[in-house]
Amino acid sequence: MTGFPTRDFLALVPVAVLTSGGLVLLLSEVFLASVRRGYQAGLTLVVAVLAAVAAIVVPPAGAVFGGQATVDAFSVFVTVIICGGVALSALMSAGWLHARNAERGEYYALTLFAAAGMVLVGMASDLLVAFVAIEIMSLSTYSLTAYVRRGRRPSEAAFKYMILGAVSSALLLYGSSLVFGATGTTLFAAMHGPRGAGSMLLVGGLGLIASGLAFKIGAVPFHAWTPDVYEGAPTPVTAFMAAGVKTAAFALLARIFLSSQVGADVHDLSFEKVLMVLAALTMIFGNLMALPQRSVKRMLAYSAIAHAGYLLVGVVSARVEGARSMALAGLLFYLAAYTATVIGAFAVVGSIEERTRGDVEPDRAWDLSRFSGLARRRPGLAFAMTVFLLSLAGVPPTAGFVGKLYLFQAAVGAHLYLLAVVGVLSSVLGAFYYLRVVVHMYMRPAEGTEEPVAAPAMVFALGVAALVVVLFGLVAEPIIRLAQGAGAMVM
Amino acid sequence: MNLLSVVTFVPLAGALAAALLPRDEPGQHRALALVVSLVTLALSLFLWFGFDVAAGAAEFQFEEQRAWMPSIGIGYHLGLDGVALLLVMLTTLLVPVVILSTWQAVQDRVKEFMIAILVLETAMIGTFAALDLILFYVFWELMLIPMYLLIGVWGSQNRVYATVKFFVYTFAASVLMLLAILYVYFHDGGTFDYVQARSALQVTTGQGRWLFLAFALAFAVKVPMFPLHTWLPDAHTEAPTAGSVILAGVLLKMGTFGFFRYAMPLFPEAALHFRPHIATLATIGIVYGALMCFVQTDMKRLVAYSSVSHLGFVMLGLMALSAEGLTGGVYQMLNHGVSTGGLFLLVGMLYERRHTRLVAEYGGIARQVPWLATVFVVVTLSSIGLPGTNGFVGEFLILSGTFLSRLPYGQVLAVVAASGVILGAVYMLVLVEKVFYGPIRNEENRHLPDLSVREAFVMAPVIVFIVLMGLMPGPFLAPAKPAVDRLVQRFQQTEARLGVQSQVGTVSTAVAARPPPSPGGAF
Repeated sequence: MTGFPTRDFLALVPVAVLTSGGLVLLLSEVFLASVRRGYQAGLTLVVAVLAAVAAIVVPPAGAVFGGQATVDAFSVFVTVIICGGVALSALMSAGWLHARNAERGEYYALTLFAAAGMVLVGMASDLLVAFVAIEIMSLSTYSLTAYVRRGRRPSEAAFKYMILGAVSSALLLYGSSLVFGATGTTLFAAMHGPRGAGSMLLVGGLGLIASGLAFKIGAVPFHAWTPDVYEGAPTPVTAFMAAGVKTAAFALLARIFLSSQVGADVHDLSFEKVLMVLAALTMIFGNLMALPQRSVKRMLAYSAIAHAGYLLVGVVSARVEGARSMALAGLLFYLAAYTATVIGAFAVVGSIEERTRGDVEPDRAWDLSRFSGLARRRPGLAFAMTVFLLSLAGVPPTAGFVGKLYLFQAAVGAHLYLLAVVGVLSSVLGAFYYLRVVVHMYMRPAEGTEEPVAAPAMVFALGVAALVVVLFGLVAEPIIRLAQGAGAMVM
Repeated sequence: MNLLSVVTFVPLAGALAAALLPRDEPGQHRALALVVSLVTLALSLFLWFGFDVAAGAAEFQFEEQRAWMPSIGIGYHLGLDGVALLLVMLTTLLVPVVILSTWQAVQDRVKEFMIAILVLETAMIGTFAALDLILFYVFWELMLIPMYLLIGVWGSQNRVYATVKFFVYTFAASVLMLLAILYVYFHDGGTFDYVQARSALQVTTGQGRWLFLAFALAFAVKVPMFPLHTWLPDAHTEAPTAGSVILAGVLLKMGTFGFFRYAMPLFPEAALHFRPHIATLATIGIVYGALMCFVQTDMKRLVAYSSVSHLGFVMLGLMALSAEGLTGGVYQMLNHGVSTGGLFLLVGMLYERRHTRLVAEYGGIARQVPWLATVFVVVTLSSIGLPGTNGFVGEFLILSGTFLSRLPYGQVLAVVAASGVILGAVYMLVLVEKVFYGPIRNEENRHLPDLSVREAFVMAPVIVFIVLMGLMPGPFLAPAKPAVDRLVQRFQQTEARLGVQSQVGTVSTAVAARPPPSPGGAF
């Protein structure tokens, strides 16, 4: 290596944009009076858009920094999804935080730092880089979880998230060290090398790494933190986490999984079997546990687990050569669709949740009854929520349907029939609990009198999210093309 | 965009236009919806008159094929065969009738109601017209959402239970069909196009049977076939009149249409294998549905169970796999749409007058509402299958087609099914007697208004078609004939390929070739 690696640094421009945006926000917070805080969300939006544009404009460099990171069409797609998630959740946060008088620059700065971490996770192709990126992402999200501490729940959520997150990081790190011991490298690309093939060390290492990542995506049985954290965190943060962390973690999981699959051997199959079992368990239990929830926020948290299960089906399907590009493209499409859908759904939840003053614990802040009669009070809001819920349930013509179709198409192509059957049948449960919210919105008389938050930024975010969900369902072709291009990932 | 696409999407465009109109002007919404549905009807008449019924004509007409999501093999492919044409016509005819019938019954959230009906119309037409498996599935599921809202928002007391049951039941049965569709994609050279899939599909016997079952489950729930019918009485009873009419008139036909269009031609071998079982279930459904009618105290529930019985006839006719049986099945789909749709409209009118659906609350009102009583009797006779009405033609064709077919135990099934006709006559006439004749026991029944002019307009098309289709079935059977013949042919080819003894067609061709002794004799 001679000279300054310009090309390598150029590939990281999106990360640089996000990070410097966060720094600017931190600085401006010090110098500007508190009355002018409305600009922060706008600035975040601009930074996110800039980062996305940078990711698209800068030509993918392939392996950079000696193969420790890979900037390919896959990572670009992931970056754009994450930036879209940041933009939408920033708009949503503007209204939500303003209504609670809690606007601060740190909030948006942390969001941007987390996003930078997520983008790096999507690029990582080295175990250590992956670990560092995950920590950047996680530390920011831990803090965001406790950002608005009213009552016990946020503190509990943040504490739980951090402790369990630390455990998962430890698993990841320990697994990495075992893999290093077995193969003598931390690069994904070299993991399948002859040195470690089939050794217990490698199997154990990969298993630990998989468990660590399963924590991050909230797969059963590593899901226990998800409902509490999702419910306790401020709603815009929940939305951001549900979309961003999931996208990043799945991108990483797909990369590691596929790298370990090259030159398949006995030990590789075990990794795949574990993921298959995880996928089935996650789909079944995620949906089952969402059924009895009366808190809509908690229901969405459990449903996020279920969606992790569907995405895992996509990851597992990628093992078969013939179905690989379809599975990866399906995975990416689903992540994009899910990002728009879930942020939209949480935005509606955030706009109608009970607002508290001081340290009063919001006991039934997200109860189903708060949605009662919403169609009469706020028809637009109710309609948008219906669109998001139908998309989550996978009913056409929404993005969620095309996403599920694509993923299960890949699963059938990879001959994973049993997994596909489990997937579609468990999604029927989903239809049941999502529709319950629709029942309350359209078919029950109103109970609450509190006006929903209707900041223009929030309405705009909702509109954009709903539009994306419907457009992805009706004219998905361009996005599918892009996803297919991105699915041919560099290994 | 060809004519068929226009017909399909005009209602949706109308729904979008309605979304822009102010909420506080229910009159505008009613007028807009009626005009849009009438325009759709007028446009669909061009389909009717433009359709070539000659045996040599193209199987699918008004075809339009475009790329939709070519990267994953999904196309936008529409086209009509004769059977689909008939069902599209039924849809476009019923929707304006339904909208007119809700003029006074629906006062709450008129805007949303009309939007739901119009979206539903697009979904229904699309389901019949789609020639791409995924496009079909999209329309099929799209239909659920407005129907779910129609029942859940504008239904009666127990509506939420009924609508959730309806949605989950149908959705659960459909997702397995989606998987089967995906499986087909990987075994027909990578396309979702129905026409290509039908000719290129390569599956083993075992695979074909599983696939057939996945499709059949989705359709059997929709029909509904015994024992998967339990959602129907609830949904019918709790739905508003408009919902019941559309549900009975069109939605149930999607199940039988699905068998005719998808499950049977795609997997003929499996269809032959499962045919006796399905025919047996259909016959059980006929008798069971009829028997259930005897114990109903709620008029709507009674009509709902009679639907189970009537749709059993359709399924029996389809499973007979003889030209007569299939034709009768198709014809009975139309009959049921007209006559049961008519019955639900009439029950709705009674409900608007007395706000109860209980049979016991009525009695002896024929003197107060002579016109309504007359219309009710005519529709009842059609539902029973009295010669001279449309019901007779369909039931006769089905029973004779089954009796003469090569269906195992076909004669036994036909005889048992025929008892359903008798039972049907009994329960319907008992209903008429209890509601319209005898002394007036309830004082509230003394002053009931007769049919208004609007209601007369609602019922007029129903009566006209009952008589027309009863006396002159020819024009309505003509479009179905090529489609039926092709299906029979397809099964004969399958048999030839399998080298098994012939199971399709009729035992004695001489009888099949003779026209049935329908009173009009125009066959």
